[in-house]
Amino acid sequence: MTLPAPLFELRQVTQQFDRSLALRNITLQIFPGERVALVGSSGTGKSTLIQLLNGTLLPSQGEVWALGHSLSQGSSRQRRQVQRQIGTIYQQFHLVDTLPVIHNVNAGRLGQWSFFKAAVSLLYPLEVEAAAKALHRVGIPEKLYARTDQLSGGQQQRVAIARVLRQDPVAILADEPVSSLDPELSREVMALLRELVQEMGKTLVISLHSIELAQQYCDRIIGLRDGTILFDIPSFALSAERIRDLYRLREPG
Amino acid sequence: MTRPAVDRPSWLTPRSRWGLIVLAAIAFSLWQARVFEPNRFNVGGIPQLLRFVQASVQPDLSLDFLQLTLDAAIVTFAYAVCGTFFSIVFGCVGGILASEVWWVSVLPRHATRPIWLGIRATLAVPRAIHELIWGLFFVNLFGLDPLVAIVAIAVPYGAIVAKVFSEILDETPRQPLIALLNSGVAPFTAFLYTLLPQAFLDLLSYTFYRFECSVRSAAVLGIIGAGGLGYQILLSLQSLRYEQLWTLFYALFLLNGAIDFFSAWLRRRLGSPSRLDLNLRKQARSRGSGGSLPDAHPARQPPERDRWLVAVGLGGLLLLPFSFWYVGADFSKLWSARTLELLGDVAQTAFPPNLDQSQWQLGMVAVQTVAMSILAIAIAGCGGILLSFPAAHTFFLPGGLFTPAQPSWRDRVLAWTGVLGTRAALLIARAVPAPIWALVALFVLFPGILPGAIALALHNMGILGRLMAESNENLDPRPLVALKAQGTPAALVFLYGVLPMTLTRSIAYILYRWEVCLRETVIVGLVGAGGLGRLLTEQLSSFDYRRVVVTLGWFVILTFGVDWVSGAMRRSLR
Repeated sequence: MTLPAPLFELRQVTQQFDRSLALRNITLQIFPGERVALVGSSGTGKSTLIQLLNGTLLPSQGEVWALGHSLSQGSSRQRRQVQRQIGTIYQQFHLVDTLPVIHNVNAGRLGQWSFFKAAVSLLYPLEVEAAAKALHRVGIPEKLYARTDQLSGGQQQRVAIARVLRQDPVAILADEPVSSLDPELSREVMALLRELVQEMGKTLVISLHSIELAQQYCDRIIGLRDGTILFDIPSFALSAERIRDLYRLREPG
Repeated sequence: MTRPAVDRPSWLTPRSRWGLIVLAAIAFSLWQARVFEPNRFNVGGIPQLLRFVQASVQPDLSLDFLQLTLDAAIVTFAYAVCGTFFSIVFGCVGGILASEVWWVSVLPRHATRPIWLGIRATLAVPRAIHELIWGLFFVNLFGLDPLVAIVAIAVPYGAIVAKVFSEILDETPRQPLIALLNSGVAPFTAFLYTLLPQAFLDLLSYTFYRFECSVRSAAVLGIIGAGGLGYQILLSLQSLRYEQLWTLFYALFLLNGAIDFFSAWLRRRLGSPSRLDLNLRKQARSRGSGGSLPDAHPARQPPERDRWLVAVGLGGLLLLPFSFWYVGADFSKLWSARTLELLGDVAQTAFPPNLDQSQWQLGMVAVQTVAMSILAIAIAGCGGILLSFPAAHTFFLPGGLFTPAQPSWRDRVLAWTGVLGTRAALLIARAVPAPIWALVALFVLFPGILPGAIALALHNMGILGRLMAESNENLDPRPLVALKAQGTPAALVFLYGVLPMTLTRSIAYILYRWEVCLRETVIVGLVGAGGLGRLLTEQLSSFDYRRVVVTLGWFVILTFGVDWVSGAMRRSLR
């Protein structure tokens, strides 16, 4: 039996910023349909990894492949083709505050829409039904025409998820999507994400602060420490010892 | 199929209603400017315009003239330094006295509202009158003395600074002040230890911005004979020596460019907010935060002790005595018996105001003035918004939002040329005083409000474009990066990200700037563009103070009217 082709693949990736090393020689494969949690303390490179996977960052060394294409090669047009298949949800939502919700939701389609259509839609919203459906799906159908900055944090995160639903990508990346939300909302948003991913057969890569949430909602957990992979195991195999290891401070020297 | 849970909102929001009113107002102003009538262009002036443009590549670089230019540039600079100095002194005193928080601290158990509102209302009058009108007035008092330029800047600017300072003080968090007051500290001491240091960066940042404006005003004031670059420019223009004119222009660009650059550098170094943000923060604050979204911009870092800053600060302090020495203004005139006598004369001759003239006719001129300001700000606003994007270094330069990941050598050169070229165009537009632009426009246009509007538009476009570019550079990049990460082409990142994030703020600032434009209609009136400004200059130069008072009255009413409309429109933007 052969394995299916990986959706994402990192080959000996090192990411160097001005002064610091964010990721060190990472090799990693993620397959279709997986729900992968990235865990580890702050500053261990979880966000960097997500940014590499969606093509926001290009690796200093090594190669990132997504959907069978190298993200560091090819024209920007080709890269955009791949990026359309990857949706991302962020901790701080990254919505355009001053726009009504519908435009932020429809923004998920901007990879497909023509300039003309997008411009017209700003004045006279198009594909309203699809946008309403996405909002309905995330539980805030009544906010369709509200201004985004008038929504609460939980509602804004739902708008961001609706945007990804509209984008309808193959893979959903989420960079600490619940860290700005209270525990109750966090569980709701996580449940929603899992439901959507399972229902539509998408792949999920999500960075989380909470090990508990990771175990509960994902089937594979990757522990990052100091920019390297400490463990990469099925959720059920996560032991207390591993967790202690993950958050142990680096010994001096 | 799911039906949308909510109906499409009506087209008629307060916003769209204002939009329609604005379009109507612009159409009306165009009609007032007779744009739709044939023969608006003076074709005969084209050769002269060409000669003027041609001279730009062959400025007069003879040693004598360069010396004269240097002297004129230093004079203009020194006027600005002295004028800013006095306006900041007035502004500090007036700002404290006009602030709500001061009166609440001094008279805690009294109804103080009438006091500070009264002071603010009083400050509105010197503010409504342009420095050029003050200049013409002080020329009548002091004769042609450098003092005229300094006082003409200091009076209106002092009032403006007082207003802005009082607003900054009132917006600064009060808890530390109240804590000190409650422990029995005297109000002024408590201010010194709490509000003033808290607000210091904002106050300083605004001071630098005022200084930039002072330089431009000092150049304009030259035109009424106060000397400096403006005066020399007018002389060269009138004697048709375009080569000399361009030498002076280049000096003006250099002066303005250096000061704008320096001021922006200092403000960035100090970590202070941009002018646009300072102006619009009150609005943002009153809107209230919608969610748990933290501040888009990270908390301001307190500036470390920065050797460069200290050096620049000391240098700045030395410039002050130098400037006073260089202009050599006769300050004794301020309190001399003769000045008092003349002032008494003016007061006597000005009253009772002469209301014989047809107020209907004056009203028509007032409408023309407003039309001129509307046209000017509409053109300036559109141009400023358009140019603010290529002028911002965060979009097209390597590493920018709209640049390919690995730009080629050619891409880089093109990108840099675009950014620097746009910035140079904006600098030229704002460095040349509006009356000079008006004179240039009069080469090919017949006198009227159209050349005036174009002149004001060019000058204000330079100012607006730069401020908006600065604010574009401070844009929160995260939503834009998010759009880019999902494969959105650059043009649509612009349409769905950059534009909505900046447009509201830009329009709010344009509306605010409209008031300034109205004030400035006076200065293009001086050179023959129409409106109340022209009337006012005629009346002032013929010492007809009884009519001057009436015209000024109209002007103040217009200013308050524009202030009110612009405020209402800005509120509808929130």
